[in-house]
Amino acid sequence: MAAGPKILIVDDEIVVIKSARRVLEGEGYNVEGALGGREALLKIEQNGYNLVFTDLKMPEVDGITLIRWIRKNRPSTGIVIITGYPSQDTIKEALGLGIIDYVPKPFTPAVLLDVTRRAVQWLEGEKSEEAKVDEEFPPAMAAELDRAVHEYRDKPGALIPVLQRAQEIVGFLPPAVQKRIGRGLNIPPAEVHSVVSFYSFFTMKPRGDHNIRVCLGTACYVRGIEGVLGKIKDALHIDIGDTTGDKKFSLEGVRCLGACGLAPVMVVDQETFGSMTPKKALKILGRYAPAFVEPGPPEEIEETVEKEG
Amino acid sequence: MSRLTTDDLLKIKQKYKEEFTLREGGYRTKVTVHMGTCGIAAGAREVMDALMDEIAKNSIQNILVASSGCAGLCGREPIATVEETGGETIKYCDLNAEKMRKIVTEHFIEGKPLLDYALPPWSDMPFFNLQELRVLRNIGLMDPENIEEYIARDGYQAAAKALIHMTPEEIINVVKSSGLRGRGGAGFPTGLKWEFASKVQSDVKFMLCNGDEGDPGAFMDRSVMEADPHSVIEGMIIGAKAIGSHNGYIYVRAEYPLAVKRLQMAIDKAVEAGLLGENILGTGFDFGLEIYLGAGAFVCGEETALMRSIEGKRGMPRPRPPFPAHKGLWDKPSVLNNVETLAQISPVILKGADWYRSLGTEKSSGTKVFALTGTIKNVGLVEVPMGIPLRTIIHDVGGGIKKRGKFKAVQLGGPSGGCVPEHLLDTPVTYEDIVATGAIVGSGGMVVMDDNTCMVGMAKFFLEFTADESCGKCPPCRVGTRILLDILTDIAEGRGKEEDVVTLEDLSRDIIATSLCGLGQTAPNPVLTTIKYFRDEYESHIKHGWCKAGVCRDLCSFRIDEKLCTGCGACLRGCPSKAIVGEKKQPHKIIQELCVHCRSCYEACKFRSIKIMPAGYEGDLSELAEPAGAESSTKKGEA
Repeated sequence: MAAGPKILIVDDEIVVIKSARRVLEGEGYNVEGALGGREALLKIEQNGYNLVFTDLKMPEVDGITLIRWIRKNRPSTGIVIITGYPSQDTIKEALGLGIIDYVPKPFTPAVLLDVTRRAVQWLEGEKSEEAKVDEEFPPAMAAELDRAVHEYRDKPGALIPVLQRAQEIVGFLPPAVQKRIGRGLNIPPAEVHSVVSFYSFFTMKPRGDHNIRVCLGTACYVRGIEGVLGKIKDALHIDIGDTTGDKKFSLEGVRCLGACGLAPVMVVDQETFGSMTPKKALKILGRYAPAFVEPGPPEEIEETVEKEG
Repeated sequence: MSRLTTDDLLKIKQKYKEEFTLREGGYRTKVTVHMGTCGIAAGAREVMDALMDEIAKNSIQNILVASSGCAGLCGREPIATVEETGGETIKYCDLNAEKMRKIVTEHFIEGKPLLDYALPPWSDMPFFNLQELRVLRNIGLMDPENIEEYIARDGYQAAAKALIHMTPEEIINVVKSSGLRGRGGAGFPTGLKWEFASKVQSDVKFMLCNGDEGDPGAFMDRSVMEADPHSVIEGMIIGAKAIGSHNGYIYVRAEYPLAVKRLQMAIDKAVEAGLLGENILGTGFDFGLEIYLGAGAFVCGEETALMRSIEGKRGMPRPRPPFPAHKGLWDKPSVLNNVETLAQISPVILKGADWYRSLGTEKSSGTKVFALTGTIKNVGLVEVPMGIPLRTIIHDVGGGIKKRGKFKAVQLGGPSGGCVPEHLLDTPVTYEDIVATGAIVGSGGMVVMDDNTCMVGMAKFFLEFTADESCGKCPPCRVGTRILLDILTDIAEGRGKEEDVVTLEDLSRDIIATSLCGLGQTAPNPVLTTIKYFRDEYESHIKHGWCKAGVCRDLCSFRIDEKLCTGCGACLRGCPSKAIVGEKKQPHKIIQELCVHCRSCYEACKFRSIKIMPAGYEGDLSELAEPAGAESSTKKGEA
């Protein structure tokens, strides 16, 4: 554990520290927390950290003061800000002080991990992930993105439609795509990122060949979607928001598909399946990738399924 | 289609009357296949293909085939409606391709309706005959992709009347005196909202429609947008005239692809016909309408958040005042109405305020559409007069509880609402009476739960939702909902403490008092109502480690009552972990160490011999015996 980069999370809410620790420690980072700027100063003075995540609005010693102190006394420490107020001015000020990145609050584990990974890479002087993706952009895709930007550029409120289009084009919204859109629409990357991370429709992870969307609405809950979801998770060995190793399937939970009459419901790509049971779910997945359940004729699959329940 | 005048509207109506009345159009039979999202998912396309195929194969001439939106009874899809000259209308349900082929042969060729596949006559089914269709007046009766069919059903007559013969004040007065209240949830009077915006001076104003329908368990707006998109557009034109707006947006969830497609098609056709865009119906009034796709955030149902979202930003609410009627989208005066509200504007304009008030109560006039789901027999979309008791909706329209379950509660208003128990089922459905129970009418989701639902689990389900959907602006909501969720999770997993219930109540009240927008102000409702009406369940979880519904896996054990077991083996065959042993015709037994609490046996047993006991309970069943989830049971024995 100790081999990983040392990270300090500074926030006046214990919940933020706890949840960030839970996420980052799971990935092997060495994480500590400080409840406020004063405690952070003392800890950094004594221990030294590779990376500091800090809130901006805190009583006594606030985030900006802390960042100034770190830049002066521990210039090699990387800084990422966590903020529930992603207003242009505060972020600009923080950027001026040399922060690496920022995490809008509330954040998802995926966003936090992503930001952390990039920040660590930046610190280690490696080529950042986004630079890599930018180079690997097929030119056609880039042109298509630019066209979407161009089409909406003069319309008010262009960002969300452009992002929706970009996600259609690329399949997901990696930082390079967000940057390119930001540049095209003349919107700071931080603002683009704040929108991407806010809406559940947007994803920063690539989806699989077949995207499974499981309805987590009330009617589906009452009629037992949990069992269906559990079965799918077990069969594919992935959690909600993940993609299988072979990129065959990705799994998403959606709020409500509005097809409550057929509850429990799941959608694979564009096709809706109603009155699901765990058994039926496996059968349907088998249709898209017969190999993943159990090789053999369909009857055998049925039997296997029955044994598994 | 060329640009229309008001005369053209009447001509189209007349033409359709002639052509599509069965006899005069030369058709003997009209078959309508209902193709909403539910219908298509249930297989309506295959049914339609089979129908067309059979008609072609047998070269049948005089059948008119049509597609239309949802038929309302979602649980019985695919459904096809057959109308015949001189015959009764028959609705075939639970169809598949094979059944459709049989219907073509026996009914259409041999003339013998297949009553086995049909629903009972309309008038005999409380599901239909207790409904009053105003919002749903066209749904399932016309092709939503055909503007002429909408016109034939009095479509755009109200827009013509409003644009040509009425002043904005007159429109507002009719809507105001109709008593129509916003159907999105809060129930704010629509006419008043329009009046505020109309009085503000501004060169640009926006007329907006909220089709985001974020409440899980609600789908009436989707059905309206899919099956009758023009009624929403017409309502917006009238609203635009009333407030003096020339630009509008319909904000729709990206999760509703069919609704988006049909709305876009309807807008394009309306523009082509001169019913949208510049100089509508030659009146000189301009109104341009666009669709804006939501990107999935529950909080965007809140009006200021929705407007932020259209501006391309994070959809976070802001304090009011200034109210959107003064400063809304891009700081311009804006009015946001819900789909269901807008869909009933045109009948209000055509038939007047008194007609509208003829149903409902003094303060809650008209009708309300509910999406009736859960463990109920007739799942579907129902429109009932306001003031009708909940009991009538659930037991008569809904047909009561499915299978052998017993009614436990009905959840109204989604994550912002609450659970109403059996003893309050006579509550009339009005905004005020429902609020008095602790729930809200909300947008109209009505999820019925039977005794297999754990109320702690239900509260946890909704808190998972709101904790995740909290936009994060206000700490009481962002942090508070998380803590509520943590406590509920502790209770559900057997770590509950006696003081937890009090903490939940106190914290809930704080969150309600200190949150900025409706999301935070209502998020604790599911917790408060479940505690209020099902406190014994919380106590049973905490004190006895017993989830009587058998939902919280750590807090139950499954035991077979030997007196009731017939040894049929149904449970044994269904058990995934082979935890059940027993000889045929002899009482079976569950080996507790192997049981994973999956409920398979409980569901499989026809003799109710499987009993749900506290976790690790080894005593005699009769000491604790009582049906799962029964109410008021705190005085029973300890684990």
